[in-house]
Amino acid sequence: MIDFLLNFSQATGIYAFMNSPWGWPITESIHFFGLCLLIGTVGLFDLRMMGFAKEITLSELHRLIPIGVAGYLLNVITGTMFLSTAPDQYLYNPAVQSKLFFMLIAGINMMFFYATTAGDVKSGASASPLILRAKIIAGISLACWCAVIVCGRLITYYRPPYHWCFWC
Amino acid sequence: MAFVVGINFAVALRLLGVAPRLEISALSRFYVIHWYAAALIFISGAALLLAYPAKALTNPVFYIKLCAVVIGLMISKRIQSTFSNKPEVSIDRTSIKLAYLSIALWIITLTAGRFLAYTHSTLLASRFY
Repeated sequence: MIDFLLNFSQATGIYAFMNSPWGWPITESIHFFGLCLLIGTVGLFDLRMMGFAKEITLSELHRLIPIGVAGYLLNVITGTMFLSTAPDQYLYNPAVQSKLFFMLIAGINMMFFYATTAGDVKSGASASPLILRAKIIAGISLACWCAVIVCGRLITYYRPPYHWCFWC
Repeated sequence: MAFVVGINFAVALRLLGVAPRLEISALSRFYVIHWYAAALIFISGAALLLAYPAKALTNPVFYIKLCAVVIGLMISKRIQSTFSNKPEVSIDRTSIKLAYLSIALWIITLTAGRFLAYTHSTLLASRFY
């Protein structure tokens, strides 16, 4: 896995860019920019579903979501650049593994939302069970993205081999 | 920081024409969360500054970030006071310019924040003694 990622990084020029004097901080800046787009759109949508700023219609606020998706794609691209350039520092890092776990939960939560609740929420339905389900989904989403941010900040403090996950 | 920048991006994008049926006066309700998050930024920033004062104070990038944050927050306050609870106020050219400026300042803040870790020349004040 490590060899595969390193070969990919070197073959695509990512490795050379990331090891240039400003490659890493530039990529980090873009990564955080993407995260802010995500929080500024998906985060606000979650807060609205949890009952904040009730005068905003969810269908209108949902129009900002594609910008959050663009931010997420920026994060996937830059995250892949980090991972493929120093795979040994990421694959065995418990903070990265926790971050990926929370991203997975957020992803499953989002799929559940679009499969069961999104249509009713956007059409303005206000039945009590629906509202409760939407609030729980929004709470899980917001908590997961906050956890993703925290784990992202902790990555540098849990570098292998000083910190090691129990299954590595 | 993600909440402060994210909310400012959302409001700025709305001012620039994204989701035009979304009322800015309603969207500006999120500034309440923005100001709590901004307070957290200053508390955590002050803690980091107290922990390694020489590291930050000898780095010009720190002052760039500080100026960008302060001006960015002043613009947030201006936009909030213009649109909050005033659904009748329309978007004028000044607001559009402020939106562009806000986005630019927050990008500078994010970038300067990340570059701080790579540009410091001094870690501890004991170097000067």
